[in-house]
Amino acid sequence: MTTSTGSKYGTGQRTVTVRVNGRDVTREVSTRTTLADFLRDDLDLVSVHLGCEHGVCGCCTILLDGHSVRSCLMLAVQADGHAVETVESLSGNPAELHPIQESFAEEQGLQCGFCTPAMVLRTKEIIETGRELTDAEVRHEISGILCRCTGYQNIVNAVQSASAKLRCGAAGAGCGAAATDDSTGGRH
Amino acid sequence: MKPPAFTYCDPDSVDEAVALKNEYGIDSLVLAGGQSLLPMLNIRLARPEALIDINRISDLQKIERWSDVLEIGAGVRQYQLEDHPLVQELVPLLPQAVKFIGHIENRHRGTVGGSIAHADSAAELPCTAVALDATLVVRGPSGSRTIAARDFFQGWMTTALEPEEVLVAVRYPVMPWTAGHGFVEVARREGDFALAGAAAVVNLGEDGRIASLAVSAASISDTPVRATAVEQALAGELPTKENIARAAKEIVPSVTSGDDMHATRAYRQHLATVVVQRAITAAVARAHERSNAQ
Amino acid sequence: MATEHANTEEKSGYKYLGADRKRVEDPRLLVGRGGYIADLKLPGMLHAAILRSPVPHARIRSVDATEALKLPGVVAVVTGEDCKAKMNPCMNFGPASIAQYPLAVDKVRYVGEAVAAVVAESRYIAEDAVELLEVDFEDLPPVTDPMAAMEPGSALLHEEHGSNIGYERTFEFGDVNAAFSQADFVVEDTLHWGRSAGMPMETSGAVAHPGLNGVLEIYCNSLNFSYFSFLIASALKLPSNKLTMKPVPAGGSFGSKFTAHKVPTLTGFLALQVGRPVSYIEDRIDHLMNSDHHASDRYYDARMGFRDDGTIVGLDIDVVDDYGAYMQFGVGTHGNAFSQIVGPYRFRDVKYHVRAVLTNKCQQGAYRGFGSEVHNWVLERLVDKAARRLGLAPEEIRRRNFIQPDQFPYKIPGGNVYDSGNYPAVLDKALSMIDLDKWRDEQKRLREEEGRYIGIGLATTQERSVFSATEFWALMDNPAFPLTSSPESATVTIDPTGEFQLLLHCQSMWGNSPETVGATVLAEEFGIAPESVNIRYADSAHALPGTGPGGSRYTVMLAGAVRGAARKLQKKLIDIAAHTLEVAAEDLELVDARVQVKGAPERSLTLAELAGTAYFFALNLPEGMTSGLEESYTYDHPYTTLPSPDRSDLGVFYPIMGHACHIAVLEVDPDTGILSFLDYVAVHDAGTIVNPKSLGGHVTGGAAQGLGSTLYEELAYDEDGQFKSSTFMDYLIPTANEVPAFRMAHVETPSPFTEYGIKGGGEGGRMVTPSVVSAAIDDALRDFGMRVRELPVKPSEIVATVQAGRAAAGSA
Repeated sequence: MTTSTGSKYGTGQRTVTVRVNGRDVTREVSTRTTLADFLRDDLDLVSVHLGCEHGVCGCCTILLDGHSVRSCLMLAVQADGHAVETVESLSGNPAELHPIQESFAEEQGLQCGFCTPAMVLRTKEIIETGRELTDAEVRHEISGILCRCTGYQNIVNAVQSASAKLRCGAAGAGCGAAATDDSTGGRH
Repeated sequence: MKPPAFTYCDPDSVDEAVALKNEYGIDSLVLAGGQSLLPMLNIRLARPEALIDINRISDLQKIERWSDVLEIGAGVRQYQLEDHPLVQELVPLLPQAVKFIGHIENRHRGTVGGSIAHADSAAELPCTAVALDATLVVRGPSGSRTIAARDFFQGWMTTALEPEEVLVAVRYPVMPWTAGHGFVEVARREGDFALAGAAAVVNLGEDGRIASLAVSAASISDTPVRATAVEQALAGELPTKENIARAAKEIVPSVTSGDDMHATRAYRQHLATVVVQRAITAAVARAHERSNAQ
Repeated sequence: MATEHANTEEKSGYKYLGADRKRVEDPRLLVGRGGYIADLKLPGMLHAAILRSPVPHARIRSVDATEALKLPGVVAVVTGEDCKAKMNPCMNFGPASIAQYPLAVDKVRYVGEAVAAVVAESRYIAEDAVELLEVDFEDLPPVTDPMAAMEPGSALLHEEHGSNIGYERTFEFGDVNAAFSQADFVVEDTLHWGRSAGMPMETSGAVAHPGLNGVLEIYCNSLNFSYFSFLIASALKLPSNKLTMKPVPAGGSFGSKFTAHKVPTLTGFLALQVGRPVSYIEDRIDHLMNSDHHASDRYYDARMGFRDDGTIVGLDIDVVDDYGAYMQFGVGTHGNAFSQIVGPYRFRDVKYHVRAVLTNKCQQGAYRGFGSEVHNWVLERLVDKAARRLGLAPEEIRRRNFIQPDQFPYKIPGGNVYDSGNYPAVLDKALSMIDLDKWRDEQKRLREEEGRYIGIGLATTQERSVFSATEFWALMDNPAFPLTSSPESATVTIDPTGEFQLLLHCQSMWGNSPETVGATVLAEEFGIAPESVNIRYADSAHALPGTGPGGSRYTVMLAGAVRGAARKLQKKLIDIAAHTLEVAAEDLELVDARVQVKGAPERSLTLAELAGTAYFFALNLPEGMTSGLEESYTYDHPYTTLPSPDRSDLGVFYPIMGHACHIAVLEVDPDTGILSFLDYVAVHDAGTIVNPKSLGGHVTGGAAQGLGSTLYEELAYDEDGQFKSSTFMDYLIPTANEVPAFRMAHVETPSPFTEYGIKGGGEGGRMVTPSVVSAAIDDALRDFGMRVRELPVKPSEIVATVQAGRAAAGSA
């Protein structure tokens, strides 16, 4: 009689420890629970929005170890030992917005708000590359997240505005206008 | 849209993964980046008894050079190929092709091995593996074996992998520095599955004629297609616009996909010639750049 | 991305209206606390999942729930049999013989129709149980082709209705035959507008909670429930005062949550069955297959008569609308076509034959434009065809036909009235923003020298706004409920410290800016900071009459309601101040949050001082005045009239008329059929602008959706009735890559009928993009005989045309 390798793995619960927005949280979780549901239901991080649950719309995008990923396409158990950031990591307080969130407000880079946390997180990731992007490049970089309201134009403006603002803040100089408007975005 | 229940296994070694595959066989699925498998689970198109998550196996995450081969572990994330110095230097077709995979959020998670084992004929990594004559390293209960990429893809999402085997690495022959490469893909939207795609690698002789050419095409059949008829039509020829255009037409008999809501068969036949032609043209242009730079 | 303003009338000196201000809604959305339906969790709440029909047309012999009910965590399985026994059919503005329940009763009529619902401790378990349900279907012939569906002998979707034609009527305004006899030529076309849908990022959802006092509470993201919650109560066989609908913000709608009846009705029914709170949130597959509605799917034979100088003399339309399996929303989408049936043009003779055909597909309803965008595409296709024939530039043929600025108010054939407009000014503004001569030279040069194909498209649209309720029934001969009210209400409270509360009486937050609009109007009226206003939403038990957003009505109607309430409060404040200062009321004015003596502003009282008096010092109030500072106002539709009994005149039902002109320059790769935009100019006239950046966002958002309907989005059924678009891998919503950068400007022609002259502006973007992009594609590939006649236009069709054109040129 051989011992089953699989017998050490159950179908049921696992204990996971995930660093969420800078704090370690430990929870029991069903092994089939998606990371998105874990964040929403177990941790009440309802900024993680479920738009399609098959990895296309991007509304559930979070940062995993600093990289944008679809949280509907991961199991919660897979985040064990990893760091997750949701939009609350910038600011969860409507009265004290992070500069990126403030730029989205100024440029009206949102309407219904459903894709917004994902767009804001992706903007953070884009800005952290340190590259200055043209509008067309910004369009390419945010194309993994669908927005049904804005037609993207005010989002592109918000990304550029936030990018200029944060570059200024970091460098302190050379902060003129954002990257030039090349105004020929669409590719079909 | 929630995944069904399964036994979740997250081995930390290839041996253990193989033991699990041996135990569960066809009732198990390997979870790599999950960019194709998780949608199938959420939609419940897949209902495995066991899910074998290989993300904790550090042995699968290496990129190493072995003389004239670049070995990329199956667990390497696709985005890592985009600006990895070894990959850029030794197999520059890969970074170019990888950028066409979905969106950056998918590439942050999706893996090299996952895409190849999933064997979607529209996918970029299977197509490039075929053009580059890559070799796939697989491990089973009785040890490792290698399979040529051209033999690996056997049908619609069907591979030569046995139920108890795990794909562990892809070995890419190092491209000569003077080789030119091109990758062209057309999709409804950027980031969508290709309507047709093509990879080309060319080496030009000192006389400017084509010394060797490898071309493969995506999304025209059940598997990625090595375009041998196109290659033969250009062997020893000058890579003129007319010659390339004439040779590209040789891809048409390989287009076996029927009509779907995004493309008709006639369109795919036409598009296959267009992407093959453009990929070869880009490869030749790059080969010229390289030889001029020498 | 410049936005320019070109006022056709002198700017009215508003301080807050017309300024680019931040939206008051945004801070909470930016931190991820939008309060969407899926975020709501009640103690003891259960979760529902539904079994969707895998077959297009079948009798349901039985549903066996034995195995499903054995699964731990499953609480109940509910089927159409339960609905039939315990419910009335859902609300219905179509023929009574076409009844619909939230779960299929006796028959399924399209792939995806809800067959049974499982209620369980979690959505995961509910989905597990759905897989264990066994349904015995007796297949019936699928009816998928609307033309075949009309043939005698076709299988019937609704035997009780006796035919697959849900509605048929010919309307004629003027005499089209006589007009065509005066025409120098007639252009005609066969056109097909394919099925797409609003497809918001958030699906529809509801949480229903049976309360202790016998009141069922339903939280849902429907926009218009305050108008019809009694109809949901009726379907649930509840007295209307035993159902309270609770407003929840929506993550986008675009028409798809206009009524959202299936989800709240089903969820309420499930909660009543199990006696516990139940949450049902559509997943994306539910929404794609079985949402409240898809949008227009129309086949046209259309003719337009012209004189040789380009003057339009008449329009003759024969449209078959592939309606799907039910007709819950009647034929309101055609009513929308009638609201602007001549577009911005002067011709007087129109004939319109419409047949709404029942097929085994999801039913149709609202999507941004509500059918008028389809009509506009047909109109503009025909005008472009005539222009090509005459060798006239697209701007020139339009200019020759425009209704002139001095002709307003302008009554169109069919009876609707256009309130105001300046179409030449909009066209001129658009032309001033782009050098078309340069692009036309470039087009010629690229074609000849480089074999590259760029195209220029120009199109206009009317943008009707502020629907009247007569539109719901005006096309029917014997409407069951010919209502005429479509009001909106607001309650403004100034609290004892002078702070403002605004209560809205419908669920109006789906991405538009109801709170910003309301706060901006209060700021304009009282001189307070807009962001200081606290805004709340009334549930149906507390709500005054309201209709909710839809048909670009809400900004106009809310401004009317808030201004009405503000005026009542202003009068009270001034009366209190007059009494306190012992000054005549007519000598006082309200400026910057103070009431002051005209000409002596140092004699003034702040709002806080006046509020303190109003709440706490009744003895200091004028004789007969009661304490407090709260006023409500219900604003009725500003201008509507009844249709004539014979429907030779449909009445005034959509009179607040915006206008737009777009110009697109794009390149088509003739070998791949892939397009890229080189420039795009959009000029809109939505009357007085409340917030230019918000309006601009609606223009670009709408245009992106128009682009989707034109090039990418398709809710497709195959010949066997199988649904081909059940995931976002096949239903292609434009990403930021596909949407061009828009250069925008606005012209402001105020409406004479609305407060401040505001017009609706939420839909125009989607109403013109299909026309302008179709025109540009045709222009790019005119050498190959390209003519866009079917949407969406796919790369394969473009390449097929190019290949056919090349073959024809080769053989010529």
